[in-house]
Amino acid sequence: MVMTDAAARRRAIVMVALVVLVGGLAMASLGVGPVKLSPATVIDALFGGGSEVQRIIVQQIRLPRMILALAIGGILGLSGAALQGLLRNPLASPSLFGAPQAAAFGAVLVIALGLADVRSFALPAAAIVAAFASVFVLLAIAGRNAGLLILILAGLAISSLAGAATSLTMNLSRNPFAALEIAFWLLGSLEDRSFRHVMLALPFIVVGATILFSQRHAFRALSVGEEAAQSLGVNVGRLRLLVILGVALGVGGAVAVAGAIGFIGLVAPHLMRPLIGYDPGRLLVPSALTGAALLLAADIAVRIIPSTSDIKVGVLTALIGVPFFLYLIVRERRALSGGVA
Amino acid sequence: MPLSSVKGERIRWDFAVVVLALIVGIARPACAADLPRVASINLCTDQLLMSLADPDQILGLSPYAQNGALSWAAADAKRYRRLSGEAEDVLMLKPDVVVAGRYTKRATRELLKQQGLRVAEFDIAKSIDDVKSQIRRMGDLVKHPDRAAALIARLDAAITRAKQAVARKPYRVLALSRRGWVSGDDSVTNALLSIIGLSNAASSLGVRHGGFAKLETIIALKPDFILVSSSSNVAEDEGRALLLHPALEKLYPPSRRIVIPEDLTVCGGPMLPDALDRLVAELKRVGG
Repeated sequence: MVMTDAAARRRAIVMVALVVLVGGLAMASLGVGPVKLSPATVIDALFGGGSEVQRIIVQQIRLPRMILALAIGGILGLSGAALQGLLRNPLASPSLFGAPQAAAFGAVLVIALGLADVRSFALPAAAIVAAFASVFVLLAIAGRNAGLLILILAGLAISSLAGAATSLTMNLSRNPFAALEIAFWLLGSLEDRSFRHVMLALPFIVVGATILFSQRHAFRALSVGEEAAQSLGVNVGRLRLLVILGVALGVGGAVAVAGAIGFIGLVAPHLMRPLIGYDPGRLLVPSALTGAALLLAADIAVRIIPSTSDIKVGVLTALIGVPFFLYLIVRERRALSGGVA
Repeated sequence: MPLSSVKGERIRWDFAVVVLALIVGIARPACAADLPRVASINLCTDQLLMSLADPDQILGLSPYAQNGALSWAAADAKRYRRLSGEAEDVLMLKPDVVVAGRYTKRATRELLKQQGLRVAEFDIAKSIDDVKSQIRRMGDLVKHPDRAAALIARLDAAITRAKQAVARKPYRVLALSRRGWVSGDDSVTNALLSIIGLSNAASSLGVRHGGFAKLETIIALKPDFILVSSSSNVAEDEGRALLLHPALEKLYPPSRRIVIPEDLTVCGGPMLPDALDRLVAELKRVGG
């Protein structure tokens, strides 16, 4: 009992620390930008004070950006934790499965066909369908007891294909500005988003997050093995479908307004596991908070790093995520080479 | 906004082209035309060529010549061959002169020169004087200097007309394109604004020819008007969506947006008289 109490207390401390961290980063996100505003001015402008220009900058440019970083980082972290829980596989995550890349392809297809304004619901709808298809196909290829290697290879194939399809679609659209548009969709950016984008993405992110979070007990049951979970009343087939749906809604909604931002879903659960423990049900919320903190921090960094043109936030998350991924591969080397046989 | 900055140059099969060019070079028939035959691989040289050369002098135009949004003479361009913008089809046409932009398609230009073609490079026009000298140069190239002189006279007449409609105050105008590209002091757009007594709000941003500005910077700059290329509120891609950001829409309703279609401002050339007339009409509309 003493052990459990200590673990529970540690979890509580970690949660409080994460909430404080995310809150601090969110405030910092409102304070950073090309126009220098003091913290006092920012708070004043946020609550309707200051000049009209200051109000517009804080309320209509920085606030939606902060909300999107929070929500998108959160859903990516949550999706990563949910996929890792479902597959009992530490390398599962939306971006390694090609879900954001596929979602970007869905969105770009709608744009290239001239079907809709980029700020209409057609965009998240197409992105969600494409993300659903990619995760569904991947899990179908990998089968029930997917080895690490099969998942990674199939995910790599899908994300390369979706990335290439995104570029080709923009090239064929005869948009003379295709190069810059492709960069946005493949690398992701939160720059100069507005509340229209928030309205476009947030409903889907919230529904996706609710679906994933509602399955937390199933993940816990699953961690002792599929058969044991079934004996506890978990319908594994239904659970898989619900997780794919939740991930697709969240990732699709996120990508439709911010492009494909990678690796947050991979990194966030791993940062939390040593602190929270290996219970996949308890890992969901801390992973979401960590994802939010990571994306907020990355989005603050792209505004601080001096550069002549804007740095895409996906570049930064990949710079952090890929070395982390390589580290995980080294750690899982034995399991991976076992997968070959 | 120069197309040069956004169009990537593709990988070419240089070797194959060289071999092909050698074969073509050997088999080249003698052609006796008295006027030079010209191919253009740049949107801006397309416009100059179409307004100064005889139709049978024009062997082909760049891929964007028929693009209604960017090319001023798009309707006229449909009569001519659409080139790929790369070296192969230009080599096959054996033009006397290839006209090109100075900043785009560097590899293509180098390759064409190596094959012994005469390549005339046109800089991005940065002032009215630049535009005039380019018109004169193209007139000499196609051996119709009389037409060049007439076009320059038309431009001068438009400038004189515009100067009579000068703005009541030197309003600060920001010429804003996709993704927040703003035109700087060294641009034809800047020249057009100053002709009708407007000042360029981008001057204080330290962009010479032009550059990207963040939305926050634009809002903080507080120009009196913004000059945009379209009044439509459809965002066909993310680049255009920036111009329809709620922050800009709130501060710049249609009555504070000067609208001049992109095909009138993307190049400096024969479209400038139209651009000036349009600018005067827009200034009147917004009550400046």
